Amino acid sequence: MLVGAFACAHTPQLIARPETEDRELVLRVHAAFARVRRRLEMLRPDAIAVVAGDHVEAFFLDAVPALAVYAGADAAGTFGPYEYRFPVHEPLARAVVEQGIERGFDLLYTQHARLDYAFFVPLHFTMPAPEVPIVPLHVNVYLPPQPTPRRCHAWGRALGEILGARPERVVLMASGGMSHYPGTDRYASPDFDWDRRVLDTLRDGRGAELAALTGEELDKAGNVELRTWITVLGAVGAAKAEIYCYEPSWHHGNAVVEWPVEGETGI
Amino acid sequence: MNETHYRFPPAAAYALNRCLYALKSDDAFRARFLADAKAAMAEHGLDAEAQAALLAADRDALVARGTGAFEYF
Repeated sequence: MLVGAFACAHTPQLIARPETEDRELVLRVHAAFARVRRRLEMLRPDAIAVVAGDHVEAFFLDAVPALAVYAGADAAGTFGPYEYRFPVHEPLARAVVEQGIERGFDLLYTQHARLDYAFFVPLHFTMPAPEVPIVPLHVNVYLPPQPTPRRCHAWGRALGEILGARPERVVLMASGGMSHYPGTDRYASPDFDWDRRVLDTLRDGRGAELAALTGEELDKAGNVELRTWITVLGAVGAAKAEIYCYEPSWHHGNAVVEWPVEGETGI
Repeated sequence: MNETHYRFPPAAAYALNRCLYALKSDDAFRARFLADAKAAMAEHGLDAEAQAALLAADRDALVARGTGAFEYF
């Protein structure tokens, strides 16, 4: 069953904390992450299904999947000085692959690909105690042509149904966003107004409207990673988002969000 | 469609993209590059212009040759 849904920024500077960053802003985002961790400890998930993109770490041009599922025994990677390894909830991962394909989503699965920092950063801050296994769910956000927002939303709806029918308590977590333009000339000019309009939409429970965005609109707004949020939105329906924080830095709109899942209080 | 920030990588840029990917993801290759950049680039079959662009860390020239912003993460 699905017991919780979140979206978390994975801005590298939140963990690396270089001197270029506003310390107080970073600490406010950390506080929002801590709130997510407390919620996860209340919700007592058996697994966290993390929907994240890949900064061309796991999947290079040899093979570029639109959607992929990590279904190995564990998933590992490195980021700067950090070396991380998370056990994968194999029965859940396998169910997502098998039932996803049964529902018409031609998923790639991997038992070996490295795990991008997009998965690691939110888990570093929010993993509850005791730790739980994960199911990494890849969405291609950076290598065109990426899946359309409509396809991501449909995949999320299917995911919600698959996870909802499982005996395990599962939390869905989108990683990424909001506006930023990594590796481009526009790095220092995110579109914060666009972000705030999206957050208003989510607060009103109108997240399904994001499925109608085009890939070009996401690219223009520095929100190619919002595909991960739109995937989770497919699972949460018309739930009204609670915005834990929105912290615009000089390069990144940092947001942490929870969507209530019907019938789940964590008590 | 207007020009986007993230673009389809042309096939002609595969060798250069492969080399950039190795630089960020393969510690042994990075060490070989630092020891002898030209020999390391030759492993990936980079032509003289691509080698010059990479040695100069000329981002605009690299992008013009078909690399993507994603290579610089």
